[in-house]
Amino acid sequence: MALSGNHEVVVVGSGAGGGMSAYLLTRAGIGVVLVEAGRDYDPFTETPMFNTSREAPLLGFRTPDKDFGFYNAGVGGGWEIPGEPYSTGEDSDFRWYRTRMLGGRTNHWGRNSFRMGPLDFKPRSRDGLGVDWPIGYEDLEPYYDRTEALIGVYGSNDGLTNSPDSGPGILHKPPRPRIAELMIKSVAESMGMPCVPMRRAVLTRPMDDRAACFYATACGRGCSIGAAFQSTTSLIPWAKATGRLEMLTDAMVYGVETDERGRASGINYIDKGSGEHRHIPARAVVLAASTGETARILLNSASGRHPDGLANASGQVGKNLMDTVGAGMAAQIPSLENRPRYNEDGAMGGHVYIPFWLYDEQDAGRLDFPRGYHYEVGGGFREPGYGIDYIPFIVDGYGRSLKEDARRYYGSVLRFAQRGEMIPNDGCYAEIDSGIKDRFGIPVLRFHYRHTEHEFRQVAHFQQTTLDLIDRLGGRLLTDVRPPQEAISAGGVIIHEVGTARMGDDPETSVTNGFGQAWEVGNLYLTDGSVFASKAHKNPTLTILALAWRSTENLIERMRRNEI
Amino acid sequence: MKDVSLPMVDRRTTLKWLASALVTAGAARAQIPGSAGTDTGTGLSLLGTPEPASGPGYGRDPDLLNPTVPWERTMTPRQLRVAAALCDMILPEDEVSPAATALGVHEFIDEWVSAPYPDQQRDREQIFDGLEWLERSSRERFAAGFADLTDDQRAGILDRIAFADRVESGLEDTAAFFHQYRNLALSAFYATEEGRADIGYIGNVPIIGEYPGPTPEALAHLKAALAGLGLQMPEVE
Repeated sequence: MALSGNHEVVVVGSGAGGGMSAYLLTRAGIGVVLVEAGRDYDPFTETPMFNTSREAPLLGFRTPDKDFGFYNAGVGGGWEIPGEPYSTGEDSDFRWYRTRMLGGRTNHWGRNSFRMGPLDFKPRSRDGLGVDWPIGYEDLEPYYDRTEALIGVYGSNDGLTNSPDSGPGILHKPPRPRIAELMIKSVAESMGMPCVPMRRAVLTRPMDDRAACFYATACGRGCSIGAAFQSTTSLIPWAKATGRLEMLTDAMVYGVETDERGRASGINYIDKGSGEHRHIPARAVVLAASTGETARILLNSASGRHPDGLANASGQVGKNLMDTVGAGMAAQIPSLENRPRYNEDGAMGGHVYIPFWLYDEQDAGRLDFPRGYHYEVGGGFREPGYGIDYIPFIVDGYGRSLKEDARRYYGSVLRFAQRGEMIPNDGCYAEIDSGIKDRFGIPVLRFHYRHTEHEFRQVAHFQQTTLDLIDRLGGRLLTDVRPPQEAISAGGVIIHEVGTARMGDDPETSVTNGFGQAWEVGNLYLTDGSVFASKAHKNPTLTILALAWRSTENLIERMRRNEI
Repeated sequence: MKDVSLPMVDRRTTLKWLASALVTAGAARAQIPGSAGTDTGTGLSLLGTPEPASGPGYGRDPDLLNPTVPWERTMTPRQLRVAAALCDMILPEDEVSPAATALGVHEFIDEWVSAPYPDQQRDREQIFDGLEWLERSSRERFAAGFADLTDDQRAGILDRIAFADRVESGLEDTAAFFHQYRNLALSAFYATEEGRADIGYIGNVPIIGEYPGPTPEALAHLKAALAGLGLQMPEVE
């Protein structure tokens, strides 16, 4: 596609951060070229709403072609992409999930949308580990409000420590809890743990041309009615509607070019159709390619002036890689057997969750791990598919009694997932593997990853707490209790990876300032998860969106003042 | 939340599959390296030798609205007869729903073991060995194939492997086959329209307005359950 030449800014990546940047820039009257490595994608016509598992190959069970099952919206990407390898260091287990399509991972994310709290922005001040952010909660609070009001989030204001309330009237009414969730709420509260409405980017009242959730079809398939937030049903169409957005898809960006003054002069990409190398000039460049790809682009943009990669005088590009601490357990609950049927699809994802509840104990030194974790919980009458809610692992024998047992056990399993904060450590980073190039000839990343005792002790705490919950419910554990070192999800598996170009107050130890503006390259902004200075246990997308808003607004102001 | 019950395939397995899929992508129906036909370990195949599973799969960008299974089913007619008989022993007709074969569960098993992916290729070996064991045991004991036995005779065979706490010594691998076969049969059975009706799945319908939440009957059941556990019923709207 030929570009008009009317743009001023190139935005790389079309997910949460890139979508937000493109939306704000175009709305401010600035022409944008949005560059996406994957194909164009239209959720209004491509989303398999209502298709059943039996219609899909292998009941929709995951395969290496579709890592999250046949119907998952993610196309073209995955844990492993043919011709686009990555390597891992010795003793490192890191999986790099990439979504190659317009809208990126926003098409299939869980929609869980938690605000980071005041403690999350100043973790080093609290416990001496990691680094503080250059901004505080008060800096981001208005952008959280605006972001939630724009994308639509259900939840409630519960006045909890470090789980901030939203501004008045912003949140959508949360859907009523289902039976399993009420049971978990009951047992959690019996142990002094709060269990409150979940926060998810799903509309429960209509907004603009998006419909309210109609409580069917898993959100991971995408949402053709726009109820579950994804940039392809909101930010990108809105940006297009300004007439100032031009999109390039199947365009693999590999470098940011700089001029003789050291400023970004544009980006270089490979057109995947023709294999041609092309250049797009720009007054400013926004990278939002995902934390891994953004770091890769910066490192591969090394030049005589920037021998260690662009914006990398601090040496921090690629460092401080973090993912959420993840572990999971499940139990069968006899008192939930043979319970009355009703439609438990609900909003598909959680209606309640358990926020971290032990800040005071932690500050008093009564816990053996730093930072927090939350529970994502559930269970119920899910659509029967592969493994049908653990039933095959509960029943015995065969025949008529087996059919009776299946009816009895259906909907009697509870699941508990840990989502915890990881402390950045020197063993977790990405670098260029100069020995391997992808099919486009671009040098690939090598990941190094290791957890430490901080994370293992946190997993052990989750395991013990969950065993207590299950015990109070008279439940039967269905999952092994493995040592934390084995129970913890490998790096990247939770797909919350962040931190490879962290923001900070000091150019010596950080890549960008508090507005995501690269210290070394004033017209280069990063608006994806790469700028995170820490990885709170809160799922990162909402914060990516809010930071992208704040940073892009700063870019727009500087452009208006002709500082860029 | 991501499913905690299904561990990921390890990276090495996936990479190996990817490498083989790339090789076979240009040659339709080429055999996936590492996939074998029937090997009973005895060198004797009572149920015939199936065609190898062929690749590639449905690819990374299939039509999600109109799903199709691109690979051929590969079980031999004799394997399929045993598979069908086993499906109906596991899930026979009762007052609520039909037998498994009436809902095509045995055909799903064939679809599964014929898929050119690592998980299914692993199951393929195990399931073919298991079906072969059923056939051999039937002939040894009753001088007839498994598919031609009475239900009581079939039960005499299955009881050696089907109950977790009384698996015959030395048949642990065959019991593992039965466990996975039952998993597949249950999964496919309850995913059908009749199976959903049987088990009581009544979702996948659009709701206009607020999600209604649990019915009064469902809440009453929970309240009793919590009372039995000494727990408080939370307040509900």
